[in-house]
Amino acid sequence: MKEQLKNTIRRINSGFLNTLKIWLREYQVIFTDVGVLIVMIAAPLVYPVLYSLIYKPEIITDMPIAIVDLSRSADSRQFSRQLDATQELRVAYMATSMTDAIKQFKLRNVRGIIEIPSSFSKDIAQGNQTNISAYADMEFFLYYKTLLLGTSFVTLETGKQIQFRNLVQQGETLQEADAAVNPIHIEDTSIANAVGGFATYAIPVALMLIIQQTLILAIGIMAGTARERHARGTLVPLDKNKMGTFRLVIGKSAAYFTVYALLCVYLLGIIPQMFGYYRLADFKELAALMTPFLLSCIFFGMTLSVLFKNRESPMLLFLFTSFPLFFLSGIIWPLSNFSNIWLIVREIFPSSNAVFGYIKMNTLGASITETSHEITALWIQTGVYFLTACLVYYVQVKLSERKNKEIKTFPINSIKQKLAGRLSGNTIATTSGVK
Amino acid sequence: MRETRRMSSKSLYILAVIVFPVITILFFCSLMKEGVPAKMPIAIVDLDQTATSRKMARNIDVTPASHVVMHLTSEKEAMSALRSGDIYGFAVLPENMQADLMTNRQPVVRYYYHNGLFIAGGLLRNDFASITNTLSAGINLQRGESRGMSEQAIMSQIQPVQLNTHLLFNPTANYPTYVTTIILPIMMQIFILMITVYCIGIEIKEKTSREWLKASGKSVTVALIGKLLPYTVIFLILMMFQNFMIYKILMVPMHAGIGWITLASLLFVLAYQAIGIFCIGLLPLMRHSLNLAAFYGILALSLCGFSFPTESMSPVFQLWAYGFPVRHFMHIFQSQILAGFEPVYSAGAFISLFVFLLLPLVVINRLKSALIYQNFIENIHKTDILAGQA
Repeated sequence: MKEQLKNTIRRINSGFLNTLKIWLREYQVIFTDVGVLIVMIAAPLVYPVLYSLIYKPEIITDMPIAIVDLSRSADSRQFSRQLDATQELRVAYMATSMTDAIKQFKLRNVRGIIEIPSSFSKDIAQGNQTNISAYADMEFFLYYKTLLLGTSFVTLETGKQIQFRNLVQQGETLQEADAAVNPIHIEDTSIANAVGGFATYAIPVALMLIIQQTLILAIGIMAGTARERHARGTLVPLDKNKMGTFRLVIGKSAAYFTVYALLCVYLLGIIPQMFGYYRLADFKELAALMTPFLLSCIFFGMTLSVLFKNRESPMLLFLFTSFPLFFLSGIIWPLSNFSNIWLIVREIFPSSNAVFGYIKMNTLGASITETSHEITALWIQTGVYFLTACLVYYVQVKLSERKNKEIKTFPINSIKQKLAGRLSGNTIATTSGVK
Repeated sequence: MRETRRMSSKSLYILAVIVFPVITILFFCSLMKEGVPAKMPIAIVDLDQTATSRKMARNIDVTPASHVVMHLTSEKEAMSALRSGDIYGFAVLPENMQADLMTNRQPVVRYYYHNGLFIAGGLLRNDFASITNTLSAGINLQRGESRGMSEQAIMSQIQPVQLNTHLLFNPTANYPTYVTTIILPIMMQIFILMITVYCIGIEIKEKTSREWLKASGKSVTVALIGKLLPYTVIFLILMMFQNFMIYKILMVPMHAGIGWITLASLLFVLAYQAIGIFCIGLLPLMRHSLNLAAFYGILALSLCGFSFPTESMSPVFQLWAYGFPVRHFMHIFQSQILAGFEPVYSAGAFISLFVFLLLPLVVINRLKSALIYQNFIENIHKTDILAGQA
């Protein structure tokens, strides 16, 4: 009994030491490989800064427009000046006719056209409703939005001035007049991103995607490199020491996890501070979300890594997913309008839930309970991918052991010939088994 | 050619050249097939519970963008539902709304919408605003009519200046037209770049580049053309498949002839192949040139001016944006194909695409020496070659 206990302790002890050894060795692998360093350290450091600088203007200001002033009156000139004075618009061209304005539009000198009717001044004087036409550039959604924002502001303001003038003439008090014009007051409040800045939409998604994509790519590159370096193209080295599956998976994950935990401090702490993004989530909330996210990414990456035969293939086969994942996150196209297929595909990738959870916590101020759906999903992914990673590594460890035995028992030359024939067959068998 | 055999022999090529591009094309075409998101979940907090407030709630429910999925009793509850992601927005109809309306006391209706979502927030806001305006106008009309005013007189009192919005050159105000048409070329450029760099780089890495050069009569130009031609054909077919999906299935307006579209697509493929050659020529060590191409390719989405207009970026990025063929391709698409402007307005973009084709000339000598001397091969240490025997 005592002997047995001692034995167990010794086994735990050796397992622990072994894991530690794998953990430390993984650091060595990471920090001695320039390619891995670029993906794992340089990319997460550089991309957020670059994206933030690109999207720094947040909103469009002084968008050039053309004005077709058919009224040519003091009122219409006043209206044009007001348009020019808005933050959104800049009158770049006074056109003589609509054709003239459209020509400027085709040359891309202006991004929208405002037409003031010839009856503008007369209508106002006579108390008739007058019509302003806005022609919006539909090529870019943001141009359309900007034109509407600027023009409707000026239109409403001008309208109000006219109303006041009329009502004062009628001898009503301002309050009465306002109640007559607006029976209901509207107070619209945007939750998160009040100015509708573009960086505020895009950067949270970018941050989560950078974490996931660089992690998976880096793990894939390291696995591909391992296969290239190991004589028989195996993922796990044909080492003298027997390597346990759990020790391998846990040791390697610990190395990746610590590196990325540090990166998270930079990505989620320093970057938002530097560029003034929303920071409603505390450390506690972020930790609750990021822990399962990082773990699920790591195990997902390790599971996928068996598919990569050399260090270049992850770039070829995985990089492109970045853009579809951006859309799968549900930030651009609302989730309520996803078809079922894509909702299922969405659940495969940890980033989808992480992006949503991060935005909820960070820009809406959601608590851990309110984000429980995302956090649970990430833990489920962590569990599933941990099992698949173990399975994959188990197969790989066995494969290495078998090859090891072959090398030991057979003379070297016959093995070479034999393996050359077998290698292709074997590798295909393992990958298809994993899929 | 040698390359065709090589291509069909490895599953990597088939995946990266055919399977994944087709999957992404289908993905983006099907994701936004609705055009404009409809019936997004919202909640109503009705504190009034009168005929007027219920009517307003029903009116909100039937607007195209919103769908009332919850009736809640407090703002706090609604806010929590919003944070949990169950709803994208909610409206609070205040207590005594009906009574206040009767007595001219201007009840305040509050709307909240989740603006962290790019499309949903704006759409809900428009919906909310328009429904309240309609309601206000309705009430005003009733009142005015009871006072014997004409509808026109009332309208000019409520809204002296009216704004009519017209959509120029793209009457279909839907998202696939904005998004899918541009994101698909952006996806395609990643595939083209990666595979171009890879198929040249692998020759250097596996030290087969001399053999390759010999097969093409020691001319790098012939070698490159021979190698890349099969890809040009495949990617052109993919581009045409993509165009077919965009114009025939998604029904995006097409105002230019098929000839122009083919020409633009061909130049697009060639321009990116040229950039691929440039990358591998600049850094003949494949893993570095792949990183370079990846870095460049990923930035295309942000810098081509499709997500956020280039004109509003800082001057450095404006210049940088010219370095992306997809930007010029987008220009051709928007001006010539979508809006139907005369070809002269997109001539600049065509010329720019041509300029990219000159890029390989800059690096061709460097690439040739790399192919011959194979001096950019990483040393692979076979760490465990004899481990089994030790």
